[in-house]
Amino acid sequence: MSKYWNQEIECMSREDMKKLQDERLVAQVKHVYENMPYYKKLMDEKGVTPDDIKSTDDLHKLPFLTKADLREAYPYGLLAKPLSECTEIHSTSGTTGKRVVAFYTKNDIDLWHDCCARAITAVGGTKDDVCQVCYGYGLFTGGPGLDGGSHKVGCLTLPMSSGNTDRQIQFMMDMGSTIICCTPSYAAYIGETLHEMGYTPDDIKLKAGIFGAEPWTEEMRHEIEKLLGIKAYDIYGLTETSGPGVSFECEEQTGMHINEDHFYPEIINPETGEVLPEGEVGELVFTSLTKEAFPLLRYRTRDLCVLTRKKCSCGRTLVKMAKPMGRSDDMLIIRGVNVFPSQIETVLIEQGYTPNYLIEVDRKNNTDTIDINVEMTKEQFSDKMSDIQEREKALAEAMRTMLGIGPKIHLVSPKTIARSEGKAVRVIDKRKLHG
Amino acid sequence: MGNVRQISVFVENRTGKLSAITEVLRESGINIRALSIADTKDFGILRIVVNDTDKACDKLLEAACTVTVTEVVAVSIDDEMGSLSGIIGLLNNAGVNIEYLYSFLAVADGKASIILRVDDNEKAREVLTAGNIALLTEKDICEM
Repeated sequence: MSKYWNQEIECMSREDMKKLQDERLVAQVKHVYENMPYYKKLMDEKGVTPDDIKSTDDLHKLPFLTKADLREAYPYGLLAKPLSECTEIHSTSGTTGKRVVAFYTKNDIDLWHDCCARAITAVGGTKDDVCQVCYGYGLFTGGPGLDGGSHKVGCLTLPMSSGNTDRQIQFMMDMGSTIICCTPSYAAYIGETLHEMGYTPDDIKLKAGIFGAEPWTEEMRHEIEKLLGIKAYDIYGLTETSGPGVSFECEEQTGMHINEDHFYPEIINPETGEVLPEGEVGELVFTSLTKEAFPLLRYRTRDLCVLTRKKCSCGRTLVKMAKPMGRSDDMLIIRGVNVFPSQIETVLIEQGYTPNYLIEVDRKNNTDTIDINVEMTKEQFSDKMSDIQEREKALAEAMRTMLGIGPKIHLVSPKTIARSEGKAVRVIDKRKLHG
Repeated sequence: MGNVRQISVFVENRTGKLSAITEVLRESGINIRALSIADTKDFGILRIVVNDTDKACDKLLEAACTVTVTEVVAVSIDDEMGSLSGIIGLLNNAGVNIEYLYSFLAVADGKASIILRVDDNEKAREVLTAGNIALLTEKDICEM
């Protein structure tokens, strides 16, 4: 059994890979220019035509796409195939304001699942494995992506989705799961529950886990490995580019190999947009080389990251990215859900509060917590305890509807949240995820 | 009319918050006649009836406190078994809801004083008067 899903690609020489990327890019730019009026306009404004792009060396000439473009072009502006050619959509967990809907043709789905199959194979997965997928299924890409990859590899796939932890553990035992895919915080939670139920890792057959969709630390990796008696691997992806499987970790566990035959990475200076040389920290930008329906060129992920082409002991030549070390915007990832402080501000104003708030994010027992301190106005104060508690409850519910996760609301006195002259401090993140 | 104004102050559950409020009242020479505190894990509500409501409010607002004034009903009842049950029964029969209540120091011999926060002050007063319950005015309370 090969340790690679696609040895030819995964171990391809740099020259051959560049040649493949160059060819694919030239064709992709042409496809986008002809079929995506939104991007054509951006190219026209910049005075770039498909003829100017002869190889990946010319990529820097193309305009960037950002989340703001996705919002503006919603829902069909970045679609480059007729809907009749599309077979599936996925969407980010965000809100109406920030929601991203990505379209997939049959071929897009196939290539995406192929990327996930590479990830599963890289952690030792074969058709003899039992792969328990406890990422959420549905619009979220986590469940469907790893599920598809697991099918490709030929694992017995358990489409568990997330939650119902007792049942997860029961299936894990009864079906003899050997690979688990979920968010790292859920993996830790399953591990803790397993121990609380009086079991040890010797009672289960798990050998590896593929964890992503939220930031996690090396310490957390060691904890999960100990709790579940497995090797824990990182996986990276975003709905805008397809979903999980944009990059994946190998046995060396020192960063994620990017499936660069499909997703061409660049690192840029987030201030100037200038492309930075290998080894420098900057914002990660992806160009989709093969996607048909939703082919984003130079999409700015806002993840701060570093790339390396140092030889990897696993034999793969695919470029490696480090764990993202932060964001170039103010997005928070809480329990796998993307949260922007601006969304919180929107809810506050809609609900009649002042936009004076302080978000406190923490991780307790491996679960992210979000607390929002909100100033109430004099008129909102009441002598009745139940009035204030109902206010807090109603605001928490409005936040849940907007954000997709429920924060704990604490109403505080007017003018008690510190104002600052410059940029207000709105977020205190105590998780120390990027140590 | 036997209207009594109660001041409610928002107290965040932080060291020194309550003392800051009582300090404002002390400095302003305000005498607290009746008091109760309701609390949750995060915050409390201090409810007081004082000898000078307007001045107390002004001073608390100056000190950036979150304050609201509510009209409540105050009664003086016999300090004996069953008398609280009696007034609650009267209000209940009349369909007046009690949001909360608290008692405060009774100076007069053999009497107990109760503050009632209800959803219908007028009706409550009517029912209590008809039931021969002595209503207290703000002035009564100040002079106790």
